[in-house]
Amino acid sequence: MSDHYTVVGTAQTRSEAWQKVTGQAVYVHDFSLPGMLHTKILHSPHAHALIVAIDVTAAKALPGVKAILTGADLPYLLGLYMVDKPILARHKVRYQGEPVAAVAAVDEVTAERAVGLIKVTYSELPAVLSVDAALAGQTLVHEDINELEYIKGAFFPQPDSNIASWHQTRRGDVQQGFAAADFVFEDELSLPQVAHAPLETHVSIAQAHPASNRVTIWTSAQSPFSVRNLLAKAFGLARADIKVVVPFIGGGFGGKAGIHLEPLALALSRACNGIPVRVKASREEEYNQLPCREGLRGRVKTGITKGGKITAMQLYFDWDGGAYADYSVNVGRAAGYAGAGPYALDNIELHSRTLYTNKVFGTAYRGFGHLETHWVIERHMDLLAQRLQIDPYELRQQNLLREGSLTISGERINANSGRVDQCLSAVASEIGWCGYRSAAERAAGIARGKARGKGLAVLHKAPAMPANTATGAIMQLNEDGSVIMLLGATDMGQGAYTVMAQIAAEILAMPLDKIKVSGEVDTDHSPYDWQTVASKYSFMGGNAVIRCAQDVLRQLKATAAQVLRIPVDELAHANERIYHVQHPEQFVTYQALAMGYTYRNGNAIGGPIIGRGTYLAPGLTNLDDNGQGLPALDWTYGAHGAEIEVDIETGEVTVLKIASAFDVGQVLNPKLCKGQVIGGVMQGLGSALCEEYKYSPDGKLLNPSFTDNKIPTAQDTPREIVPILLENPQADGPFGARGVGEHPMISVPSVIGNALYDALGINFYELPLTPEKIALAVAKLARP
Amino acid sequence: MLTNFEYAKPITLTHAVQCLAEKEREVKILSGGTDLLVALRRKQVQPALVIDIKGLKELTALTYTPGQGLSIGAAVCVNRLAEADVVRQYFPALAAAARVLASYQLRNRATVGGNICNASPAADLVPPLLVYEGVLEVVSQRGSRRIPLQDFFTGVKQHVLERDELLQGVFLPDTTDATGATGATGATGATSATGMTNVTDVGGLYLKQGRLKGHDLSIIGLAARLNAAKQFRFAVAAAAPTPLRLFALEELLNAQPFTPALAELAAQAINLYIHPISDVRATAEYRRHMAAVFVRRAVSSLVTAGGKQDG
Repeated sequence: MSDHYTVVGTAQTRSEAWQKVTGQAVYVHDFSLPGMLHTKILHSPHAHALIVAIDVTAAKALPGVKAILTGADLPYLLGLYMVDKPILARHKVRYQGEPVAAVAAVDEVTAERAVGLIKVTYSELPAVLSVDAALAGQTLVHEDINELEYIKGAFFPQPDSNIASWHQTRRGDVQQGFAAADFVFEDELSLPQVAHAPLETHVSIAQAHPASNRVTIWTSAQSPFSVRNLLAKAFGLARADIKVVVPFIGGGFGGKAGIHLEPLALALSRACNGIPVRVKASREEEYNQLPCREGLRGRVKTGITKGGKITAMQLYFDWDGGAYADYSVNVGRAAGYAGAGPYALDNIELHSRTLYTNKVFGTAYRGFGHLETHWVIERHMDLLAQRLQIDPYELRQQNLLREGSLTISGERINANSGRVDQCLSAVASEIGWCGYRSAAERAAGIARGKARGKGLAVLHKAPAMPANTATGAIMQLNEDGSVIMLLGATDMGQGAYTVMAQIAAEILAMPLDKIKVSGEVDTDHSPYDWQTVASKYSFMGGNAVIRCAQDVLRQLKATAAQVLRIPVDELAHANERIYHVQHPEQFVTYQALAMGYTYRNGNAIGGPIIGRGTYLAPGLTNLDDNGQGLPALDWTYGAHGAEIEVDIETGEVTVLKIASAFDVGQVLNPKLCKGQVIGGVMQGLGSALCEEYKYSPDGKLLNPSFTDNKIPTAQDTPREIVPILLENPQADGPFGARGVGEHPMISVPSVIGNALYDALGINFYELPLTPEKIALAVAKLARP
Repeated sequence: MLTNFEYAKPITLTHAVQCLAEKEREVKILSGGTDLLVALRRKQVQPALVIDIKGLKELTALTYTPGQGLSIGAAVCVNRLAEADVVRQYFPALAAAARVLASYQLRNRATVGGNICNASPAADLVPPLLVYEGVLEVVSQRGSRRIPLQDFFTGVKQHVLERDELLQGVFLPDTTDATGATGATGATGATSATGMTNVTDVGGLYLKQGRLKGHDLSIIGLAARLNAAKQFRFAVAAAAPTPLRLFALEELLNAQPFTPALAELAAQAINLYIHPISDVRATAEYRRHMAAVFVRRAVSSLVTAGGKQDG
C-alpha cells in the first residue's frame, strides 16, 4: 500500500531510542532544583471514615519541616467531569490510601518522620465495597452528590445515590426485538480493578513564584494542557500564569492522562513561599493512592433468531469507579456508544452506570473501558453460539457492522470506515479456525493433561473525546535547512514524535534525519494539544503536521517564486529544493530560503520560515438523551485469534499463538505498529491471566506491590504473536491512517476466555483467568 | 525510606561474631539484602546496627568433597547454586529450586543463608535442603553448634538462632553411597548393568507453582528425592507455617513396593500431612490440589527413573 510513499510506511526506529537505552533521557524523577523540598503523604487507613480531628503540632515542631497541609487548608475540588475530589481529604476519607495530610521537608526522611507524628482521629463509617452495595445506596460515598458541579448534558449523576453518571442509549425498540426473537439469553460477566503499573511512578515538582501568580510545574503527565487547564480552574489562575513542562515520561497507559499530584505540589510550594516542592509516588502509592482501572459488572440480555441474527440487546454496565469519578464517568459514556461491540444492532437499550465505591478510584486506562465491555460482549457472543450450536465465527460475521450499518449511536458506517469482517477472517485463517472442537476431542485433550483450544474475538474503538478536540503543530526551518517541530502531545513510548517526523519528511520531501521534534512539551512554548489519550494523535497530530508542512511549502514557494521569477503554480518540490516543474535545473534550496533568501548585494526577501498547522475534529456532535450522535473521529476495528494450551492439573495457560488484526487504514511505521500490537497483547494478557486488585473485607487493598500484584513477565509471552495490519484507508486520516494505540489489548481476555471454553468445555465469567481458577474448575468437572 | 542505622562490614568471622554479641541494640545481618531491604523500607524491622557478611571468606565458599558432602557458605548467592556443576549433578533438587527462586537479577543477590534465616514458609531453597538432610553450622562468640535444618524453624519468620549467633553455612551429606562409592568417580551413577549396587541418588526435583510463569513467590513448592537405597524424601514450601519435611509421607511410601502405583498413593496421602492456608496468593484448596498434583508428578518421575536404573 505504501509503495508510493518515501518515508511514510517505512520501519523507523524511535527517534529517542538511543537516549533511552543509554540512560541519557531525563525524566522528572531525575530532576532536582536548588533548595527543592521533598514530600511525604499520610494516607487514610480506613475505606470510609469521618475525620474527627487532625493534630499536626508535633510534626510541625520537627526541625526541617517546612510545611504541613491538611484538607482544611485546601478548599478546592477538582475533577475532569464531576468536580468531586479534594486535594487532601476534607471532613472524611473515601478510600483506604486517600491522602489526608502532606509534609514538605528538607529531605524525605524528615518528611516521613513528620508524617509519623501526625495524629488523626477517625470515626469509621460503613464502607461501600461492591457494585451491589453502591446501587443499594444505603451508604453514600459522596453525601453531597446533589451539590457537586459537573458537565451537564454529558454526564448524569443521580440524586441521593452512588451513581456518578447514568448514561443511556436507546435505538429501535428492544421489546419488539425480543418478541421477534426465537430465543432470549442472558449472561453476567465481571472483571476487577487493575493497575497501570508504569515503570515511572507519578511525580510532580511545583514552584509557585512568591511575588506573582506565576507557577511552574514539571510533571510526569500525558496531557500538559489539561493539567494547566484544571489547575487554573481549581486555583482561579490565568492559563498564562501556569507553565507546565513535561520531559520524557516513563509510561502512562492512561494513568497519567488527567491531573494527579500537581495540585498538591503547587499548594505545598505556595505554603513554603515558593520554594520548589517535589511530590513523588512510591510504588505502593502508585497502587494504593493513585488511580487504577475501574472494575466492571456487565449484564447482557440478547434476543436472537434460530439462525443467529440478533434482534435485540439490553445491556447494564455497572462500573466500580471507586471513590472519585475522574475519567470513570467518561469511560461509562464511551461504553454508551461502543459498549455493544462492532455489531449492527437495530434494537438496543444500554445503561452504563459509573458507581462510587470506597475503593481506589478509577481513571483512564489503555482501552478506555473497551477491554472491559468487550470481555462482556465477546464472551457473550461465544455463549450465544454455544447455545445455538452454531460456529461463533459465523455468528459474528452475520451480525458485524458493515458498510451501510448504523452504530448504536446512529452513525452510518461507510466504505471508508474500515472492515471488521476482514479482521475476523484474517485471524481465523491465521490460526486455522474450523469451529469448536468436538466433545470427544476435548475429552482427549483433558485426558492427555494438556488441552488445546482456539478462540476468536473482535473489537472496535473510537477516540473518546469532546466533539471540539483540537491539536496544533509548529515547524521552523533552521539555517541549515533542517526542521525543528514543536508539538503539544507527549511521547510516552508510543512513538508519536517519530511518526510525526515521518509525516513531515514525506510532505516536505526531505530526509527524516533532518527533522527534529522538540522532545519536551512546555505549555508556554508548545502549540496546544487537548490530551495525549484516546489513540487519536496519529490521526489528529498527523493531519496537523501535514497542514503545517504544507504551510512551510507555501512559504518556501512564495519566496522561491520571486527568486526564480516563476509563478507559484509552476513550482514543484523534491530533495529539499523548490524547482520549475519543467526545468528542474531552475531551483532554489530550502536552506537558501530558510532564513529569507539573500541576494549577493545583501538584500534579502522572504523571512524565517515558520509553519503552523492545526486540526480540529470536524463534524462530531454531543450525544442526545438517547445516546444518539456522532462521537467518533474514526473507528479502528480489530480481531484476535488465539490458540492456547492448558495444563489441566496446574491450570496454567500457555498461549501458543495469538494473531491480531487491525484495520489501521495505512501503516505509518510498521515497526511501531507491530510494537503497539505486541505490547498491547501482552498488557491484555495481564488483564486476562493474572492482574487484580484484592481487598480485605473492610476495604483495605491487600496487594499494593509487585510482590502480590503481578504483571506478565518475559516468560509469560506467547510462543508466537502475529500482528496483521489491514489497510482500507480512512478518507480523512493522514495518508489514510487510523489510530491503533489502545486497540491491541482490547478483547485479549475475551479471546483467551473463548479458547478456554474450546479447550475445556468450561465457561469462565470472571477475570482474571488464574491457574487456580482454571485448575479448580477442571477438578470440579472431574468429580461430579 | 530507610531510617538511620550503623553499618559494619567485618572481614573476619571473629570480628563478625564480636559485632553480633552486642546486646544493647537491635542488630540485623545483611547478606544479599533482598529480604532485609524490603523489611527496612516497610519499617518491619528498625535495626540500630546492620552487619554486612558479604566480606567473610568463610561464608562465600561452596565446597564439594566426594564421599563427604557439600558445604555451602551462608553468603553463597542463589545463582552460584543454580549453576554449580556439583550441585546440578549431585543435588539436582537444590539446583532446580535455585533456578526458580525469584528472578535472575535477584538470584545474583539473594543468598542461601538469607533464604534460610528469613524463615519464610515459602522459602524455595529450604525444601531441597530438607530432603538432602541439611545441617546448619552456626557460630557465635560462645563457640559453634550444628543444627539439623528440620529443627531450625519454629514458626512464620521464626527460628531457633540466638541473637548473637550467625549462620555460617549449611552442610549436605553426600548423595553418593559411601560404601559403594570409589572416590570421586563413584558418583557417576548407576552401575546395575554390572550387578553392582546403585551408588548415587536416583534423582531429585523441585516443583513450584506461581501465579504466572515469570518470577513469583511459591504458592506451593515441593522437593522430592529418591536416594540410592530407593528411599523417598519429601519437603514442601508454602504449605504450612514453616517449610516442612514430610516424614510420615516418606514412611508410608518407603514401606510399599516400588511400583508406579506409589504416585497415586502419594497424591492421596500428602494432604494428611500439610497445613496450607488461604491468603492473597492462593486458597488453601488450590494449595492442597497442587500438593497432590506435584507429588504425583514427582513420584511418577522418580519411579520411572528408578525403574530404568534397574534395567
